[in-house]
Amino acid sequence: MFLSTIRIIKFSLQDISRNVWLTIATITILVLALLSVNTLVTVEVLSRHAIDAVKEKVDISLYLKADASDEQVASLKTQISQMAKVKQVLYTSKADALRYFREKNKDNPEVLTALRELGRNPLSPSLIITPNNVEEAPQLINEIKQIKSEVIESRDFADNALILEKINDITKKISEVGLIIISIFIFTSMLVAYNSIKVAIYTHRREIEIMRLVGASNNFIYLPFVLSAIIYAFLGVLIIIILFYPFLGILQPYLEVFFMDYNINIIEYFVNNFWLIFGLQFVAVSLISILSSWLAIRRYAKV
Amino acid sequence: MIKLVNVSKSYLRGVKILRDINLYIEAGEFVSLVGQSGSGKTSLVKILIGEERVDDGRVIIGDWDITKISRREVPYLRRQIGVIFQDFKLLPQKTLWENVAFALEVCGQPPSKIEKIVSSVMRLVGLEDKKDRYPHEVSGGEQQRTAIARSLVHQPKILLADEPTGNLDSINANEIIDLLVRINKFGTTVILVTHNREIVNHLKKRVIAIEKGSVVSDREKSKYSL
Repeated sequence: MFLSTIRIIKFSLQDISRNVWLTIATITILVLALLSVNTLVTVEVLSRHAIDAVKEKVDISLYLKADASDEQVASLKTQISQMAKVKQVLYTSKADALRYFREKNKDNPEVLTALRELGRNPLSPSLIITPNNVEEAPQLINEIKQIKSEVIESRDFADNALILEKINDITKKISEVGLIIISIFIFTSMLVAYNSIKVAIYTHRREIEIMRLVGASNNFIYLPFVLSAIIYAFLGVLIIIILFYPFLGILQPYLEVFFMDYNINIIEYFVNNFWLIFGLQFVAVSLISILSSWLAIRRYAKV
Repeated sequence: MIKLVNVSKSYLRGVKILRDINLYIEAGEFVSLVGQSGSGKTSLVKILIGEERVDDGRVIIGDWDITKISRREVPYLRRQIGVIFQDFKLLPQKTLWENVAFALEVCGQPPSKIEKIVSSVMRLVGLEDKKDRYPHEVSGGEQQRTAIARSLVHQPKILLADEPTGNLDSINANEIIDLLVRINKFGTTVILVTHNREIVNHLKKRVIAIEKGSVVSDREKSKYSL
C-alpha cells in the first residue's frame, strides 16, 4: 500500500515534469479561468459596496413646525428612535438648516441674495431619520405617517417613497444580473478547466493503454492522473494568488478615489476571506479536475 | 493450455469477425496464427487478453475460464499473459529500463525484486548496455526487444506476439523470431500472429490459418499455405 502510494506520487510528478509544455498549457488555462472568476468576484464585491454606500446615504426628512418647543421635538425624536425600523435620528434646528443651506449654495449668489431680501429664516427644523434597512424604508414612512404630533409640519413623503422604491429596484436588479453573470463565468471557466484536463489525459491515452496492457490495476491507472489534476489545481490557485494581490494593490488607490467618503479596502476583503475565496476555488477546481480525469480515463482507456 | 470452444464474435451492425472458432493449444507450444488483414487474428488476441468479450462460446486459459471476465479481473489476467505488438507500445518519456520496470512497478513489486528481474530480462534480450536510453534513441529491433523484455517480467506462461516484426527489416525481424524461439524453449507458450510467409516457413512449427473469421487449416510443422 505504502509502496503503491509512493509510486503513484512518483508517476504523477514524473508525468508533470516530463510533459512540461502540457503542464504549462493546462495550468495557464486554469489560471485564465480562475482570473476571470476572481475578477468577477472583485466586481461583485465592489458593486455590493457601491450599493451599500448608496443605501447608507438614504434618509427620510421629517419637517417640523418653526415654533415647536425643544421638549416637543425631543419627545418626538425619542418616539421615532424607539421604532424598530429606525437606525438613527438626527435633529437639525432652524439655524442649522440655514447654515447648511448657505454652505450648500455658497456659489450661488442669486439664492443667497433672495434669502437676504427675505429678511428671515424661512427654513423649518427637521428630523433626519436613517432606516435600519433601506428596503424597509417605505414601511417606515407609513409608520411615521401614523404618528400623532402637532409639531410635524409636513407628512408628504411621496417623492421619498418613489426614490426609495427605485433604489431598491435598481439594487435588486444589479444583484440579480451580477449573480447571473458570475454564474455564467464560473460555469464557463469550469467548462474550460474540465476540457483542458480532458485534453491532457487524451494526450496520455497511449500511456494508459500501456498501463492496462502490463496489468496495472484500475486505481493505479487512475490515481496518478487524479493527483496530477490536484497538483494542477494547486499550482493554478497559487499562481492566481501571486498574480491577483499585486493587481488589487494597483486597483486600491483608484477605488479610494472613486469611493471617496466611503471606506473600501478590496485587499483587506481578499485577505479576510482568503480561505473562503481561494480555498473554495481550489476545492472546486480539484473536484472538476478529478471528475474530468475520471471521465476522460473511462472514455479513452475503458477503465 | 489455451482452449477456445465455439467462439464467435461480432462487432457493431452484426458483422461477424469470428465464427465458431475451436482451438486447443498445449502448454509450451509455438503456434503461428496466420491470415490476411481483417481475417480476425487481432480480435482473437484481444479476446485472449480480456480486451474483448466473446458473444458465444468459451475461452479457457489454464484453469481459468475468462469467457465472462470482469474488468476488475483483467489486470490479473494481463500479468499472466505477455503481449507484444507491431508498434512496440513503449512509453517515449521513459528509458528502456524504466519501460520494463514499469510493468512491475504498477503491480506493486518491491524495488529489490524489480532490479533483479529487470536486469535478468534485459540481459536475456541483450539490452543491458542500452538500458538508460530512451526508445527514440534505439533501433526498431531494440525497441521490440525491450517490449519482449517487458512482456517477460511477470514470467508469463503465454506470450502473444501480434505482428511483432511488422515494423522491422528482415535482419531485425529474424533476431526477434529467434528470441521468441528461445523464450519458447524455456517453456513459455508462444502465439505468433503474422502474415509474414518467410518467417512462418522458416519456423516449421504449428500453423493455424484463419480466413473470414473461421479456422481454415490447423497443421503441425506446416508452411504458410493461404
